[in-house]
Amino acid sequence: MSRATLPTVSTVTSATEHQLGDSAVPPLDEESREWLRCLRAEGSLKEDAVARLHALLLRAARFEVERRRATLPHLRGNDLDDIAHQAADDALVSVLRRLDDFRGASRFTTWVYKFALLEAAVKLRRRAWQGREIPLEPETWSLFSSVGLEPDEELEQSELLTTLQQAVAEVLTPHQRRVLVALALNGVPIDVLAERLGTTRGALYKTLHDARRKLRRHLDEEER
Amino acid sequence: MERPDLKQMLGRVLGPAEPEVGCDECFDMLDRYVELELAGADADAAFPGLRAHLAGCPACREEHESLRALVGEGG
Repeated sequence: MSRATLPTVSTVTSATEHQLGDSAVPPLDEESREWLRCLRAEGSLKEDAVARLHALLLRAARFEVERRRATLPHLRGNDLDDIAHQAADDALVSVLRRLDDFRGASRFTTWVYKFALLEAAVKLRRRAWQGREIPLEPETWSLFSSVGLEPDEELEQSELLTTLQQAVAEVLTPHQRRVLVALALNGVPIDVLAERLGTTRGALYKTLHDARRKLRRHLDEEER
Repeated sequence: MERPDLKQMLGRVLGPAEPEVGCDECFDMLDRYVELELAGADADAAFPGLRAHLAGCPACREEHESLRALVGEGG
């Protein structure tokens, strides 16, 4: 999996459930405990558990494929099922590698589903953009609609748009500008951009977040 | 072609105003968050910054919706 561990985008300081440690985590339910016991066993007990786990992951990956089927009209059923299988295989590797990270905050099945859904979603987004050029320049500034607005609102929005365009051009670094334009303006999925730029989703979102903060600060200063 | 809506564009460009977690932290919390949501508990109080991240990150939002749907239907 192409995920890297990165720090929180911005500090959330209040004591949250996940920060409270073991005291806030409910005890493992019986089913989750049994999953862990079998997956940590040896021999046929483990093999059976891994096979059951793969079936569970495949079910979740197929669920995601089904939800996104409409976005991939050019793919046939076999292609989609291949993607589901690849997603389940990759999710299995991730789950087994991170088994010690499971602390029982949720049911084991809920925890493993998210790996399969992530793998399937990433593969489907990438497939949808396969062979397509990634637009890194603003394509549509002049297209934004203010239909239905009163004239004074339209003027206000037009001024805001101009200020925002200037801020994107002048306040952001070239990398921040490319990332913001691709993700927020041109609708490129973050996993697709991460793959093309050889980075991770977390790193790109951090760039996007920093760019957004700069723009917000700039707009606030302009308003004063 | 229908022209894109300026307000929606501003939302996407400027993102959430509130503090938010990153994609990796979101992934780590998502399973517990969804179970709390489905149980009718206050998931946002348990995981501050997660809701804001889901508002700002379409990919994580989609994965949250999928996990919620899958677990919600008894998965």
